[in-house]
Amino acid sequence: MSFDVSTPTGLLQALGPDLVLIVGAMVLMLVAAFRPESAGHQRRVGLMALGVLVATIATMSWYATNASSTTVHGIIAVDGFRWAVNLVFLVGAAATIALGIEANPRDRIVAAESHVLVLFATAGMMVLAAARDLMIVFLGVEMMSIAVYVLAGINRSSARSAEGALKYFLLGAFSTGFLLYGIALIYGATGSTHLGVIGERIGTFGLAGHGMLLVGVGLLLVGFAFKIAAVPFHMWAPDVYEGAPTPITAYMAAAVKAAAFAMFLRAWLEAFSLLDGSWLTPIWWLAAVTMVAGNAIALAQRNVKRMLAYSSIVHGGYLLVAVAAGTGLGSAAFLFYGIAYTLATFGAFAIVSVMAPTGSRGALIRDYEGLWTTRPWLAVGFAICMLALLGFPIFGGVGFFAKWYVLQAAITSPRELTPLAIVLVLTSVVSAGYYLHVVRVMFMKPRPEDADEPGPVYPLTQAVLVGSVALILLLGLFPNTLATWAKDNALGARPTAVTTNAP
Amino acid sequence: MHGLLASISYNNWILTVLLALPVLGALALWAQGAAMRHADETARTSAARKLALVVFTAEAVVSLGLWWSVDYSSPLWSGYVAVPWIPAWGIFYRVGVDGIATMLILLTTLLMPLTVLGSWTSIRERAHLFYAMLLVLTTGMLGVFMALDLALFYVFWELMLVPMYLIIGMWGGQRRLYASLKFFLFTMLGSLVMLVAILYIGLTAADPLGRPVFAYDVIVSGATYPGMASLWLFGAFFLAFAVKVPMWPFHTWLPDAHVEAPTAGSVVLASIMLKMGTFGFVRFALPLFPDAATNPAVRSAIVILAVVGIVYGALVSMVQPDFKKLVAYSSVSHLGFVMLGIFAFTTQSLQGALMVNINHGISTGALFLLIGMIYERRHTRQLADFGGIAKVMPLFAVMLTIVALSSIGVPGTNGFVGEFLVLVGAFRTEPIASVIAATVVIFAAVYLLWALQRIIYNPLSKPENQALKDLNARELGLLVPFIAGILWLGLYPKPVLERTQAAANRVIERVHGMGADGSVAGQGR
Amino acid sequence: MLLQETVHPLAETAARFVWWLPTLPLIGFVINGLLSLQAATKLGPADPSADADHAHAGHGAHAHDAHDAHAHDAHAHDAHDAHPPRHRYAAITSIIGPGVLIASFVLALAMFFAMRGVEADAPFVSRLFSWMPVGDFKLDAALQLDALSMVMVLVITGIGSLIHVFSVGYMQDDPGYPRYFAYLNLFVFFMLLLVLGANYVVTFVGWEGVGLCSYLLIGFWFSEQANADAGKKAFVVNRIGDFGFMVAMFLLFAHLGTLDYTAIAANAGTLEPGGAVVTAICLFLFIGCTGKSAQIPLFTWLPDAMAGPTPVSALIHAATMVTAGVFLIARSSVLFSLAPVASLTVALVGGLTAIFAASIGLKQWDIKKVLAYSTVSQLGYMFIGVGVGAYTAGVFHLVTHAFFKALLFLGSGSVIFAMHRAYHATHNHGDDAQDMRNMGGLKAMMPVTWTLLWIATLAIAGVPPFSGFFSKDEILSAAYSRAHESTLADASLLGMSGSTVLYLVWILGLASALITAIYMTRMMLYTFHGPNRTDEKSRPHLAEAPWVMTGPLVVLGVLSLFGGWLNLPEVITHMVPLGPAETLEHWLEPVVGEATARVSGGAAHVAVSTEQMLIAGAIVIAIAGIAIAKARLKPEALLTKDASEPSRGFERILERKWYVDEIYDALVVRPIHALSRSVLWKGVDVGLIDTLGANGSAAVTRFAGWIGSQLQTGRVGTYAWLLVIGAVVVLRAFTAGN
Repeated sequence: MSFDVSTPTGLLQALGPDLVLIVGAMVLMLVAAFRPESAGHQRRVGLMALGVLVATIATMSWYATNASSTTVHGIIAVDGFRWAVNLVFLVGAAATIALGIEANPRDRIVAAESHVLVLFATAGMMVLAAARDLMIVFLGVEMMSIAVYVLAGINRSSARSAEGALKYFLLGAFSTGFLLYGIALIYGATGSTHLGVIGERIGTFGLAGHGMLLVGVGLLLVGFAFKIAAVPFHMWAPDVYEGAPTPITAYMAAAVKAAAFAMFLRAWLEAFSLLDGSWLTPIWWLAAVTMVAGNAIALAQRNVKRMLAYSSIVHGGYLLVAVAAGTGLGSAAFLFYGIAYTLATFGAFAIVSVMAPTGSRGALIRDYEGLWTTRPWLAVGFAICMLALLGFPIFGGVGFFAKWYVLQAAITSPRELTPLAIVLVLTSVVSAGYYLHVVRVMFMKPRPEDADEPGPVYPLTQAVLVGSVALILLLGLFPNTLATWAKDNALGARPTAVTTNAP
Repeated sequence: MHGLLASISYNNWILTVLLALPVLGALALWAQGAAMRHADETARTSAARKLALVVFTAEAVVSLGLWWSVDYSSPLWSGYVAVPWIPAWGIFYRVGVDGIATMLILLTTLLMPLTVLGSWTSIRERAHLFYAMLLVLTTGMLGVFMALDLALFYVFWELMLVPMYLIIGMWGGQRRLYASLKFFLFTMLGSLVMLVAILYIGLTAADPLGRPVFAYDVIVSGATYPGMASLWLFGAFFLAFAVKVPMWPFHTWLPDAHVEAPTAGSVVLASIMLKMGTFGFVRFALPLFPDAATNPAVRSAIVILAVVGIVYGALVSMVQPDFKKLVAYSSVSHLGFVMLGIFAFTTQSLQGALMVNINHGISTGALFLLIGMIYERRHTRQLADFGGIAKVMPLFAVMLTIVALSSIGVPGTNGFVGEFLVLVGAFRTEPIASVIAATVVIFAAVYLLWALQRIIYNPLSKPENQALKDLNARELGLLVPFIAGILWLGLYPKPVLERTQAAANRVIERVHGMGADGSVAGQGR
Repeated sequence: MLLQETVHPLAETAARFVWWLPTLPLIGFVINGLLSLQAATKLGPADPSADADHAHAGHGAHAHDAHDAHAHDAHAHDAHDAHPPRHRYAAITSIIGPGVLIASFVLALAMFFAMRGVEADAPFVSRLFSWMPVGDFKLDAALQLDALSMVMVLVITGIGSLIHVFSVGYMQDDPGYPRYFAYLNLFVFFMLLLVLGANYVVTFVGWEGVGLCSYLLIGFWFSEQANADAGKKAFVVNRIGDFGFMVAMFLLFAHLGTLDYTAIAANAGTLEPGGAVVTAICLFLFIGCTGKSAQIPLFTWLPDAMAGPTPVSALIHAATMVTAGVFLIARSSVLFSLAPVASLTVALVGGLTAIFAASIGLKQWDIKKVLAYSTVSQLGYMFIGVGVGAYTAGVFHLVTHAFFKALLFLGSGSVIFAMHRAYHATHNHGDDAQDMRNMGGLKAMMPVTWTLLWIATLAIAGVPPFSGFFSKDEILSAAYSRAHESTLADASLLGMSGSTVLYLVWILGLASALITAIYMTRMMLYTFHGPNRTDEKSRPHLAEAPWVMTGPLVVLGVLSLFGGWLNLPEVITHMVPLGPAETLEHWLEPVVGEATARVSGGAAHVAVSTEQMLIAGAIVIAIAGIAIAKARLKPEALLTKDASEPSRGFERILERKWYVDEIYDALVVRPIHALSRSVLWKGVDVGLIDTLGANGSAAVTRFAGWIGSQLQTGRVGTYAWLLVIGAVVVLRAFTAGN
């Protein structure tokens, strides 16, 4: 069925899945507050949250097959891209909660609302993915961010967690300022906040060279770059990732990033594709610098979570290459990459949460020495995730094809990105330095005597771990379905016409 | 024989089976390992090696049919199979072989069981993982020889990396961590650049629907690139292959990897994995970018590097105190001959290069096995620690002598045939280079005979050597095939030469448009 | 392209079994080899690392080791008191080893008579199988029987048989008895391959094969470093020569498109006479010869090669292998006759080597070393012969030299054998059994050997009617007449006119003839005459060797005496009717006739009177040499090795062989090693590529990473500022467009 999103009813209907999630989240919030905090309670709420997510996914899949929009300039997109990214968010959220249920007691987190906050953040992301109007974009960003700020500091017993959360909040607010100001300027330049309209007006009135517009877009880019922690806007990431509870770190690394990218891609392709003359260079350099610096700094890390933090920065850089392509293929590559990266990230963090019982001590790479001899399965799983992040065929499963797709997007792009592709592969050689280091520590070093035995792998964590590793390998052997799915749900890129100069 | 093979439609399934069998074997090993989780190490080891030997032997036996079944004269691929793998990206499971590939495949399948026998007693812990890795590695290597889809080729190419990385890193010597990482990074650096090139090629060859095309034949027949582009692409492939060959100055990973790797690792590395590079040149780099390959600047640069490698490798191995390192550097020298043979662009030199490929596989493999045997007894590879052991290990002495002679290239052994053909052919187009290369007949004698002398001759002065036991039946048995190969290819290489002739001619014609008889226009008499 | 096999007159004769000639010794090698392995083998434990270091296992090995730890030549005798039991396969080996040789000698004789029967100019080529067919490069494993190879085959199998028989006695007590015969048989196999090859490559197989065997036999008692070193040196130096051989083959293929002798002989005309190509080919071939035949500059390995058992020295390092170079040039006579410059080089190098080696021979004390240098010098003669285009003369001297030099070596062998016996019986392991200063007066104890060795000495000194006289004279007169008039005389080398060079060569030849006579007489005097200098205890034990050893000596004695009849010069047969003239000349006509004619430019000989002059001169010189030695040397005054103080001055230089080894070591060996170790390995490999390249870049990246992580202060202020700076940069970049 198709909705007329210009009418309130149509809009509500079009927001079906989002509403399911938000309502569910609100209800759960009450449930959470209903009882005093306790491990059992947070577990119960967590399971319910999973239930809500399942319901959302079910609704969404119905929408994905049946829904369409009749409105040309609806403020909400009803397209495959939206559903596709939503899938990434929801899967990520589910994994986060699943890990959280079992990780929280270890981290002495008893706040049941942690799971609910994940749901709220996810709702925000879904809004972002749907937004075709900069106001909605802002709404989504705020919904997501505020929830995540809290989540980052949810571990009240850990000073580091609180510190990280505060930094995140301050800098986040700062960057949101950029974002908002950017939106204002864009509105000032084009007289609209609707992506589609903006795009048309840029074309019709030849605003491509319009200074105010450019500054606005630039600020938008800064806000976005902050969210995806692109160098040099990445400084917050390592501290926050290290401080936050492991599942939340994973959530930030995978889902939050995906959301930002989804928003950005839509904005770029629907509104600003005619500006590529101006934005190509900054994004080009943003991508290059992020890949180079991120990889280099990651080499120097001794703490697994920090290493993974930088690795997620780096992958942001890789995805920027897909963005720079500025084509539908680019967005398809992003979808594919999103799935692959989410799987690898949650697989890895599942193990990190097992290995880091107290959150701090067990988080060093050194503590993984000789893991193969005592816990072969964990070692193999982690190795596969590392190789997936490295983008290695077969052993790294789908990770390789994710990179493959991004490179394909880059090389086919009319913007001649082959040099950037070269930068990508060369920097990923550097990344082998730290990913393989973990593998070698686990497999080639003896287990130290004093090493404390990692805790047991509880069922939900195990499910996340096995699920993601299995999918990594399976999709690595048969990526065709995923590839087609990504292509079908890609954003249609606006033809990149010649950019006319400003009057 | 042909009739029999045809009756079971051997060609239709053989390649796929050869690729699948080792993987299944690896899974079986994994299952067995899991099942015997609580058994003691010795039991696990012996179970694992037996299973591995069975699988590898089966593989070898099945592969033998290729010797007859392949149609060596026809320009079409034998055993060709094409099944969509990732149609969305135009990637197919496309495999097929010609004479050149077949010889290397057979070398691989026949060598692997022997390497298992070679590590029979030296691998004592985590045997299941070890042999599983060896099996996966085999699939990767065979895949590289068979792949006719560039994407597929790349996957197999990378597939080899991890098992070897683990084999070196987990069962290697003192500096295994450094060596394994170095090996991995060197190779990966080369191959990732090649990945970009492959994508570029596939995307430029895209079909009307805009889907990339990675089919080897399509690209070879159709592809033309603007002048600079073909040079860049060739450069990318060159980097990947040159590292693997290894050509000077990309060779430094080799000595470390060889020295640190366990015997089986060194054998596979030297005998087969080094051939990937040269094979890559013959199968991909030359036919894909003939104009770049024949570009005088490029060509002479490569020839120079090859000759430098030949002499350099020989000189450096002359002063190695460690036997394995000595052999490693000698490999640099031998593979230099292959490169010279390939880039001299005459039928003789190319055929010779293919022979050297095989010969080096046999003799160096045998050398590493022999080194492994004394290493197991003495736990040292330093030449200085031996001397006069021909008295206590006469069989070993005989074997080592024969293998060393083949590596020196004494006529009557396989080593001579290859090097002689390379030089006699290369002399027509690259006289100076081949004369310089020929000086290696001297240095090769120096470093190998000196090593030989310090190990099996001289006084048997060191007490710990006087207790050494001679080869046992297993060791003797696993060496016999090598000796047989050395003599067979030395005295009657015709069967092999015939089988590679047509394929070699195609390459030459493709590259140079010169007569199949190898006479270059304006060259010769 | 190999000539199509038309029905050759020999095709139906014994010649069609030509491939049996090498096969027989090969069979011998296989059997003996297996026997020796079987005897030595004791298979190890299933798991090598199981009992790697068992103490007790050591003793067996130890005894074994001590056994020929002091193995010097002919230390067939055990160091312990009791004679060891003979090798358990001694009997069968003694039958098979010499047996196969005698068999192929008989076969060779059959072929010889078959060849005499028929009239065949074209060589008889028997193709076994196609070896390396690649494109237009068609190489067969083929054997070729013609006059030249026939002569060589007879010499090899004939002398070979004698030496095998001799070895049965000489090596009787050696623990490696079957191994010894295995190697010896293998050698003969390769040697026959060398001379029978129908193309350069097959010849090259034999060429390298004999080198390999000499390597194995020189190092036969490998437990002594010196022997192993000598073996290695021989092989490596030979490889240097082989390099030249290979390049020559490349050139031949590149320019004639074939390596078959018959085809080359047919196409040689296409090469420009005296042109760069053919000259280069010949010079590179000659490099090969200098290696194999121990000519300047590659002669240094041969004296060291004396470390091998004496029969080996006789067979390989005197009679057969070292003459391969001469054979090769005779085989390539067509090419050399087209390349005057190359030929002159050959002759000059030959002359220089002849006198140089002879001079060293003057001052050697080790009896075998004397013979070694005399071999080098005689080889020089042969090269003068083939160099001046008197190919028959060269081959002739090759044959006679094979006779008397084999005799000399075997004779010295039985002397050493006797000395050892004596020393051994008295447990005297201090004295050197090969040093002539420890001998003297052996005439009394070993009369047979003494007589035979005098025959050989007179032969090598060139006293008529002994064989050496005829061959040597023919070479010298050839050199003279070529200098007088020939294509060589017209050419020029190093700015000298060809004839000048040839006169020089001729003089060198005469001079070294004189010296030869001197040092050979010296050897005989010191060894057999004067008082015996062996210690009293040992003296009574000195005695003639058993007949299995002396027998072959007698045969060789006869050959050395009458060998000259093979090719009597006409000038003599005119004066004294000794028999048919120039038999060998006629016999080799189909092989080298054309080439000889081309070089001599028709003018075969100088005036008879001149020739008689030359002969007379040669005789005078020989007699003079002997006389001088007899007059100057006083065996009575000689002291034993330990007693005599080191020589000084020029004598010392000669004794130390002009310090050639030391010079090579300093100029070639050390620099190359230094280069390889310090520059290439430590410098380029470890230093440049690894430390700077690979690890360097890694380190740089790590450092950059470290810097980056230092920015991570954890202070929000910093972060905020960086964020702002970043923002500014981005905006700048955005607006940069306009």
